[in-house]
Amino acid sequence: MTVVECLDLGRSFGDLAAVEAVSFTMEEGDFFALLGPNGAGKSTLLAMLTTLVAPSRGTARVAGADIRTDPARVRQAIGAVFQEPALDERLTARENLAIHAALHGMPRRTARQSIAEALSWAQLDLAAERPLRSFSGGMKRRLELARALMHRPRLIVLDEPTLGLDPQGRRDLWDRIARLRAGGMSVLMTTHATHEAEACTRVGIIDRGRLVALGTPADLSRRAFGGPGMPLEEVFVQIAGRALRDTEASPRDRIVAFHKRGGEHTR
Amino acid sequence: MTDVPAPVPARRSALLDLRVVGAMWWRELVRFRRDRSQLFGALSRTVLWLLILGFGLGATLREIEGYTYAQYILPGVVTLNVLFASLQSAIALVWDRQVGLMRQVLVSPAPMLSVALGKICGGASIAVIQGTIPLAMAPLLGVRMGAADLLLAWAVMFAMGVAITATGVILACRMRTFEGFGSISNGVIQPLYFLSGAIFPLKGIVGGVGFLDIPQALRDDLARYGVYALGGGWVVELPQWLRVMVYANPVSYLLDLLRLVLLGFSQMPLWASLGTVALLPPAAVVLAAWSMSRLRHA
Repeated sequence: MTVVECLDLGRSFGDLAAVEAVSFTMEEGDFFALLGPNGAGKSTLLAMLTTLVAPSRGTARVAGADIRTDPARVRQAIGAVFQEPALDERLTARENLAIHAALHGMPRRTARQSIAEALSWAQLDLAAERPLRSFSGGMKRRLELARALMHRPRLIVLDEPTLGLDPQGRRDLWDRIARLRAGGMSVLMTTHATHEAEACTRVGIIDRGRLVALGTPADLSRRAFGGPGMPLEEVFVQIAGRALRDTEASPRDRIVAFHKRGGEHTR
Repeated sequence: MTDVPAPVPARRSALLDLRVVGAMWWRELVRFRRDRSQLFGALSRTVLWLLILGFGLGATLREIEGYTYAQYILPGVVTLNVLFASLQSAIALVWDRQVGLMRQVLVSPAPMLSVALGKICGGASIAVIQGTIPLAMAPLLGVRMGAADLLLAWAVMFAMGVAITATGVILACRMRTFEGFGSISNGVIQPLYFLSGAIFPLKGIVGGVGFLDIPQALRDDLARYGVYALGGGWVVELPQWLRVMVYANPVSYLLDLLRLVLLGFSQMPLWASLGTVALLPPAAVVLAAWSMSRLRHA
């Protein structure tokens, strides 16, 4: 069964086409990586699929629901984890999950049960009553993943999931994803780390807003080098070229930088 | 899926989901409780404006329309705290939607009107709490308040908080980046505060030290024109351009209503103040909800 279907999907910001006419399908149970350099349009593509950004051309269906005409059903069907933690750092882990339960309209009784299970799944039972300010990056990522699963989505969407994690945190994340996949979960992620995409069932290479190659890692190797077995890193450079990609800092980058400098108590 | 937490039934879609309103409201209050610096700000504004400026300038200006300067400025300082609290809570949205919880809210199926309503009511509640700090000084200033006055004052403060938080949310939805609250404080809060009649009267008699008493007959005459004086003093008339700006500021009317409740004295036409308090908050909420719903699918 098809879980994601992009049809000629594109988005421009003014003159800049962040994503141009992307079409692909992703089947239920796939582990799909969108691989691309910085500023390639991966995050915009993901933002369209999660209904954060409206397409300026084409459309997509996620779990059978059209992102343009039926965004509420799309939102119910996906669990999303963003690049920067989308958590309230002044709230505790339990409080963050309680808000998620309310946003998804879980009945109170189910919610309490579901929060307890999510905390134990994330191995955060002991830290449940601590404000997230005191959490490490890995703890936050585990909490976010557990939260994304609380409402039983059909598809998990991860934007650069290993960014800022230490090796232990990365290993733990991949183990968790592997266990979810063993249970039949479909996973769509973006990454610019080629070795992370090696384990995926399908890889789409995105460059300058276009989907330039799509297939299993072996397919892509065959296409770029005439045979399987080449590391994805080589395949990627062969396909996307060596030129450096310098992009301007986005508003989000600026706010993140401001935060890292220790800015603003209003967070 | 052996590894995944419990299943959840499909949700209904509605514009008004009270659980969502409640959750967002509660979130604002918890955030406030865990940020002492906001409470400190409210306290320091009260001390600076009400006590230091109030009694400091009050030593020169013996009275305004029969009230001491500290009494006169009390509703203004309450308003100042309401402005700060509401806008701080609203502007946090800029932050929240780039690096905070708001993205999770946007990708959830929760109806945006309910999210906005919860956020705004939360901001308004914090505004009432912070506005109550100067209110607690009322006995010190010789302002007498009954329980009914206090409830009425809270109602006006809450309405003011709703209107200003909602306006701040509209502003926050248009801001893409943000490097500190200073521009909001200097660019929005202070103009609204200074141009609201909070610290100087629109018209009336200001009594200075050493002035001769006004004869009772003249005072009665003046009272008929809406100008009150206990002691002696001079008649104040603001320059026309300043009057226009004060009249154009919606905060002036809300503040005036608060002054009527707290001091029993007002400068604006009552119908205008009542109209503002009845229409501005709901209108601002509707616009804020609309702005927030446009964050989705932007």
